[in-house]
Amino acid sequence: MSPDRLSTTFSALADPTRRAILARLISGEASVTELAEPFEMSLPAVSKHLKVLEHAGLITRGREAQWRPCRLKAGPLKDAADWLEHYRRFWEQSFDRLEDYLGELQGKEKKDGHDDEH
Amino acid sequence: MDTTTSIDAEEREREVVITRIFDAPRHLLFQAWTEPDRAARWWGPRGFVTTYCDMDVRPGGTFRVCMRSPEGADHWKQGVYREIVEPERLVFTFAWEDGEGKPSHQTLVTVTFAERGDKTELTLRQAVFETVEARNSHHRGWTSTLQRFAEYLAENR
Repeated sequence: MSPDRLSTTFSALADPTRRAILARLISGEASVTELAEPFEMSLPAVSKHLKVLEHAGLITRGREAQWRPCRLKAGPLKDAADWLEHYRRFWEQSFDRLEDYLGELQGKEKKDGHDDEH
Repeated sequence: MDTTTSIDAEEREREVVITRIFDAPRHLLFQAWTEPDRAARWWGPRGFVTTYCDMDVRPGGTFRVCMRSPEGADHWKQGVYREIVEPERLVFTFAWEDGEGKPSHQTLVTVTFAERGDKTELTLRQAVFETVEARNSHHRGWTSTLQRFAEYLAENR
């Protein structure tokens, strides 16, 4: 996944209204009117958020002229989650090695100390 | 520094947060993070070898490190140190380089070292953001969206 794409996904997710919209879409497709309901927001304002989400590839809009239902799209969110998971693994595995290395260092220190006692 | 206990659950969720207790004194851990010869020994997944490690550990200083995978592929990481508080705290930006040596998506890493008797508790927090300045206003709770989505994917497979 390109860094630009990732930035687009993350900046789309940065807004609480847009996250709420995505969360709503997990339970199925919805119209703009339905999506606007829980928010004290005008339809144009909601439409603006939907455009950002659509641009980021997080949702698709139906072609039906009247209600153009919004649907969640798996790709970018999954990529962002994978990216995060990749970092978690990177650190966890590094820390396993750090643990070994620290053990090694201290083993050496302890051995040196022991040798001094002779 | 804010203590780990004051970080609420929501704040934890917006970042990668890893806590681990190491059976070593705090100064050893801090050295392992800040001395290039030592960092080269562990920084990277198992099987990877550090082939280049340049670290200018001071605020505004940069680091650039190459790790080679068991298959022989080079992965370059780079960043800028923001805060150095020996021996308890390190803050730096972190990004993988793309094929042309340019940093890809930036993150901000905060590492704290807390004494726990003879041991040391390390907490690493890695935040995702477009700019350092945007860190505090952006991304609150976005990883919980990802978690919900992962659950959704699992249910609909």
